[in-house]
Amino acid sequence: MNKQKLFNGLALLLAASLLLAACAPAATPSTESPSAPSQPSGGEPSAEGFVGDVLSAESCDYGGKILSIEAVDELTVVFTLCKPDPAFLAKIAFTPFGIQPKEWIASTGGTGQILERPIGTGPYMVSEWVRGDQVVFSRFDDYWGEPGSAQTAVLRWAAEGAARLQELQAGTAHFVTNISPDDYAAVEADPNLVLVPQDNPNVFYIGFTNTFAPWDDVRVRQAIAMGIDRQRIVDNFYPPGSEVPHSFTPCGIPNGCEGEDWYEFDPEGARALLAEAGFPNGFDTAIYYRDVFRAYLPEPPIVAVEIQTQLRENLGINAEVVPMESGEFIEVSTTGGLDGIHLLGWGADYPHVTNFLDFHFGAGNPQFGNAHAEIYEALQQGSSIGDPALAAPIYAQANNAIKALVPMVPIAHGSVAHAALASLGGAYYPPFGSNEFYRLHPGSDTLVYVQNAEPISLFCADETDGESLRPCQQVVETLLDYETDSGNTVPELATACTPNEDSTVWTCTLRAGVKFHDGSDFDANDVIASWAAGLDAANPYHVGNTGGFDYFAYLWDGLINDN
Amino acid sequence: MTVQDAAVPQTEVQDYRNNSLLFLTFRRLFRQRNAQVGMVILGFLVLVAIFAPALAPYDPDRSLIGIEPVEKRAGPCIHALGCPSDQPQHIMGVDGNVRDQYSRIIYGTRISLFIGFSTIGLAVVVGTLIGAVSGYVGGWVDNVIMRFMDVILAFPSFLLAIAIITVLGRGLQNALYAIAVVNIPVFARLVRSSVLSIKELEFVAASRSLGASPLRILFVRILPNAIPTLIVQATLSIGAAILEAAALSFLGLGAQPPLAEWGTMLGSERNQVFTSPHLVFFPGIAIMITVLAFNLLGDGFRDAMDPRLAQLTKR
Repeated sequence: MNKQKLFNGLALLLAASLLLAACAPAATPSTESPSAPSQPSGGEPSAEGFVGDVLSAESCDYGGKILSIEAVDELTVVFTLCKPDPAFLAKIAFTPFGIQPKEWIASTGGTGQILERPIGTGPYMVSEWVRGDQVVFSRFDDYWGEPGSAQTAVLRWAAEGAARLQELQAGTAHFVTNISPDDYAAVEADPNLVLVPQDNPNVFYIGFTNTFAPWDDVRVRQAIAMGIDRQRIVDNFYPPGSEVPHSFTPCGIPNGCEGEDWYEFDPEGARALLAEAGFPNGFDTAIYYRDVFRAYLPEPPIVAVEIQTQLRENLGINAEVVPMESGEFIEVSTTGGLDGIHLLGWGADYPHVTNFLDFHFGAGNPQFGNAHAEIYEALQQGSSIGDPALAAPIYAQANNAIKALVPMVPIAHGSVAHAALASLGGAYYPPFGSNEFYRLHPGSDTLVYVQNAEPISLFCADETDGESLRPCQQVVETLLDYETDSGNTVPELATACTPNEDSTVWTCTLRAGVKFHDGSDFDANDVIASWAAGLDAANPYHVGNTGGFDYFAYLWDGLINDN
Repeated sequence: MTVQDAAVPQTEVQDYRNNSLLFLTFRRLFRQRNAQVGMVILGFLVLVAIFAPALAPYDPDRSLIGIEPVEKRAGPCIHALGCPSDQPQHIMGVDGNVRDQYSRIIYGTRISLFIGFSTIGLAVVVGTLIGAVSGYVGGWVDNVIMRFMDVILAFPSFLLAIAIITVLGRGLQNALYAIAVVNIPVFARLVRSSVLSIKELEFVAASRSLGASPLRILFVRILPNAIPTLIVQATLSIGAAILEAAALSFLGLGAQPPLAEWGTMLGSERNQVFTSPHLVFFPGIAIMITVLAFNLLGDGFRDAMDPRLAQLTKR
């Protein structure tokens, strides 16, 4: 009797479950555009039923470069620009503009899980990020291109150059970044190691935020520019091949060195300027920096003390040296929150003068305080001219304005080298971006790579730090990529991007048959969703790690719906 | 001379004075081999600190770029040991900022001794006051003060110092405060226990019955008897304080550049341990020798005050 009741009950429960399952919507991710108003809107269905999303600004009045991005069909995306951008192809190849699945972005809300576990189409996928220790990647076997030779890649970090080199010498790492200049000879003398030079244009500078006194007085900034012996710093604290800058942008970049040369070292003139500004005996300030090795700044504490010494001896300025945690330093310095001078630099992301000048001196960058119209107006003009020769006079004007207004003092263009085990096959380092793990052949199942610091997050649409961009580059791909030995672009997720006559409309044809790490198919709507999360300030997934999405804002002259 | 005076032989008076605890302690201390070594080293360090400007050939903060043909992190050059005479002599080499390492080590002696004496001096004064009040007053006052001291002692001292610096801000002055604060409970407990035992002795009761005020009893009768114990603990603590200050500076929390502090010197060149070992070797040795001197002296004091050891010495 009891058994019969139990059987009847179970049968009833089963029937009810089946009924509910039949009525409920499918549990698979929806390809419909979310109804949020700022989401990319759906376009007309194509013949195959594909509904393409569109990200568009109301007009070009918002000041940015991108008017719209439209998924015309599953494998075609059209970028419509407000004005021509000569660096368009180089920019879209940059890691922060990587593509993640639309559904994944929506499911994370643009923050949380996506910060630690990006999903891309790259040759490696993130298996685990052990905070403070390592990021472990596993090979993506459905990768559309050449697969990685190692089944597992491990990314570790060590702030000290000696510790990184020791890992290499002990054979516990295959590749380490940024060898200390003092260690070059030791690496070259060791038959088990190889030095891997990198030809990356970069600049190290002293920055001031003009919303704080005394940096609001241009004479004080000019005095610093004249009172620092840059040649002495380069000669004594940089490896051979480093240079004293003519301008902020290295001369190897077209139009980088247009305009007048930087100030000569003139301590008497500098002291006179300081006295004129009301500081005949100098003043007290602070030198902020992060103790992280960079190509542009190989020994931050040593150079900080040298600058402290020069300020004291040449100008009578007493500066306290203040090291900061890397992430905090980047966040505070780039938002204009430091009241002293800050030591920062820049390594080129792509080979165009806009990468140096527009990012730093654009109208929307608060790093140096109030932006100078004399600089950013020239930059806006220059960035829409495709022919470098035509743009040269405008960049001369911009560089001269930078010299006159001194938002920063360029100190050095540093040379840099990395190191690898001699047994590592394919050891290289590209001039732009980081090396891709799949090109390295350790001869075993595991590749171990040691960099300078821990990534801040792995949602690189909202990161600017090289230590974050490197792991992202293994996982998330962009429409185009850079060649391994130059800044020229090659196809990646797009097989081609072609412009119209005036270069205001770019049509990108996407690669077919590409799969994301979660098994979903890559299509044009994923491109729209990824760009919308970064470029559209009103997009519900425009959250990220800091919410700044700096590269979207600076490289495209502002965010859509950024009120 | 009175009759009474004549009745007391001069030698007995001498013996009485020579048998005071402090005198006996010092007499035994000077016989201790360890203490002798500690005192010699410490005396030498004090002389180095006093005469630093005369002993250091260079300004410790001045970069030699453009002044001498010397490269950054150049190794030691000692003419007597074969270094060419046309090269400038730097017996401990030069650092990453091209400053004479020997001059910085010499000036660092001043800072390290100052750190040791000032932090422990402050901790002794404050700790003694707290411990004396706590032990003498007793009751709930003693309970509250000692529980508070227990709370401070419950934290690892170095972590507590870091926490204090986090609140106060980086810098040598704040590091000194932090080190002093973490040492206060040690001296407070020590003095309290001395006060608790001494205040029950008969001579204290006698003073009380003669109408001495509590303050007089505490500061004139009781505390002087706790001094030898305090000296032992203070001597041992100075070495530890110097180590803590060096560690804080190594982490960038204590002395700031360009101050020639040994921990800062170690920290700023820690990456060069393989390529320029002299830059970490000499500051490390300087710290070790200084701490060793205080530890030897402290051990000597402890042994000198140990009654069992005193008995052994008599035998």
